[in-house]
Amino acid sequence: MNKDKQKKTIPPRIKEVERFMEDNVGVGTSFDVGFRNLTILKKTTHLYYLTGLCETAIIVELIKKLVEINDNERNIRKVPEIIENRLVHQQVTKAKSMDDVVDQLLSGLIVIFIDGEDEALIVDVRSYPGRSPKEPDTEKVVRGARDGYTENIIQNTALTRRRVRDERLRHEIIQVGERSKTDVCISYIKDIADDGLVDLIKKEIKAIEIDGISMADKTIEEYLVKQRFNPFPLVRYTERPDVASNHLFEGHVLIMVDTSPSMIITPTTYFHHVQHAEEYRQSPTVGTFIRWVRFIGIFASIFLLPFWLLLVQEPNLLPEPLQFIGPNELGNIPIVFQLIAADIGIEFLRMAAIHTPTPLSTAMGLIAAVLIGQIAIDVGLFSAEVILYVAIAAIGSFATPSYELSIANKMARVFLLIVTGIFGLKGFVIGATIYIIGLSCIRSLNTPYLWPFLPFNAKALMQIIFRISVPMTKDRPSIVHPKNNYRQPKFKS
Amino acid sequence: MENEKLEQNKHEKPISVLGKALITGFIGGILWSFFGAIASYFNFTSVSPATFVLRSWLHTNWSDGWLGELISIIAIGLLSIITAIIYYGLLKKIEGIWPSAAFGIALWFVVFYLLQPVFPNVSHMTDLDSDTIITTLCLFLLYGTFIGYSITYEYQDVNNTTNQ
Repeated sequence: MNKDKQKKTIPPRIKEVERFMEDNVGVGTSFDVGFRNLTILKKTTHLYYLTGLCETAIIVELIKKLVEINDNERNIRKVPEIIENRLVHQQVTKAKSMDDVVDQLLSGLIVIFIDGEDEALIVDVRSYPGRSPKEPDTEKVVRGARDGYTENIIQNTALTRRRVRDERLRHEIIQVGERSKTDVCISYIKDIADDGLVDLIKKEIKAIEIDGISMADKTIEEYLVKQRFNPFPLVRYTERPDVASNHLFEGHVLIMVDTSPSMIITPTTYFHHVQHAEEYRQSPTVGTFIRWVRFIGIFASIFLLPFWLLLVQEPNLLPEPLQFIGPNELGNIPIVFQLIAADIGIEFLRMAAIHTPTPLSTAMGLIAAVLIGQIAIDVGLFSAEVILYVAIAAIGSFATPSYELSIANKMARVFLLIVTGIFGLKGFVIGATIYIIGLSCIRSLNTPYLWPFLPFNAKALMQIIFRISVPMTKDRPSIVHPKNNYRQPKFKS
Repeated sequence: MENEKLEQNKHEKPISVLGKALITGFIGGILWSFFGAIASYFNFTSVSPATFVLRSWLHTNWSDGWLGELISIIAIGLLSIITAIIYYGLLKKIEGIWPSAAFGIALWFVVFYLLQPVFPNVSHMTDLDSDTIITTLCLFLLYGTFIGYSITYEYQDVNNTTNQ
């Protein structure tokens, strides 16, 4: 981009500034860009602002002080210095080019031009519309902090700072998008995070050339990890500041994008998606128990349906004590179609639930439960066991902490169902092998996706199988290549 | 290799990689032969870990039960350390996941074809049913990937950090 060459300087004549603002920013056309003309010690002074994003009370206060200059000062030669001095605000900066001025103005700062000066004064009076921190819907815990990230990047960095007061915490900001100029912040702790990773992320984000990223974090993610046709989530999202700062301490690099409450945690593996903050709010043993139950749920969400289908198709596989498994009557439709149809039915329900308003969703739930549950069996469409196993698999999906992973696993389940339906046992075995090998081929920012299972790392896998108590976890996970390996001293003095 | 080790402070790391390789071998053997035992319980394969390790020599009641499988799984875990050493010695420098998958398949041929005379209880490769072949082949492929990819990754990881 040859932006730097074309940077327009600020014309000293204020009439020219006015014309520039009319032509390029649309002062007078766009109703949300306002401007106020003041005369201070006989010099014309212009104040530009964006109505929606400024704090009016502060602007009024500033104007009051500026007008008072006429009563209290008389040194006409030093007007710019006097004005700068009288701007009673902690964030006053100077800008030399019109491009900077326009960028700042449109982010909600006010700009003050003084006739005869080639510098503009910029005061940060931003106040963005937004909500206050609230517990995120997708990551609820029974006990623990109830605050969550919001759409405001400044608030978000503040929420992180509240938990990481380390002077080595870095919040680097990069603007992305030629037109949207969205702020993207890269957070990491300088002496823990891997330099290579930080540089790689910065390079990838700076290389983005796009008009705007209104889908914020998702767009950044797609540029960063090169997803292609792989349905599995390559980064973890969190809306919880405690989860985010915990990952900072582990040496992860966080990316936060303005206008989105979701932080991107990099690098991520499959097993980051199967953990939940709730496990860390309980005692280690209870946490481990919760986690194992969750693992069973996730495992069931992938393999239960195809495996049951296999046993129905080839009942001779069943060992003697398990002969009772399998439907008593096969029904009118092949089991594989029943399973896929019921699974898609649940998918209808889930999708509809996302955008159905609450008053209607109760009615929808009733209809769905009665239709899919009882009537479908009575009519002879589904056999009762199909409903049972599809329901277990669906609840297993809902027990997956990461929404993205649960959908990807659902796709894997449908794939396994189809290959098992067509090829029987060979399809199931080869399909399951493809699932595991396929996952281990994925790399997210040079990190093997199935680490620490494949490639195997005994210590790290223990951390995943057991929820180990915090005083016992002395090391940071080796996958992030931390510069400083120990979270706490190895031996207490 | 020997020249690189001249600096004394480098001594410790290769040993720990080997140590990790041995653990990987042991756990890999246990894990995948456990899956093999489950597969044979559900009649995916006509051979199970115990068919190889125990039933070729022992014909008692308990060797057919779960105890036989358990002992065989542990025995395979120990044998698998040898596999890990072989991989560590020969192939640790080869990058990527596919060489280790190929290693697993090669291992399957060694066990089911070359070593078949050693296990009188296992029928000849051509006599096995196709389900057994596919299931065991997949298990060996995963086993090979598990051992190979882990050792290669660990080796490369340590090498990269020491070079920096």
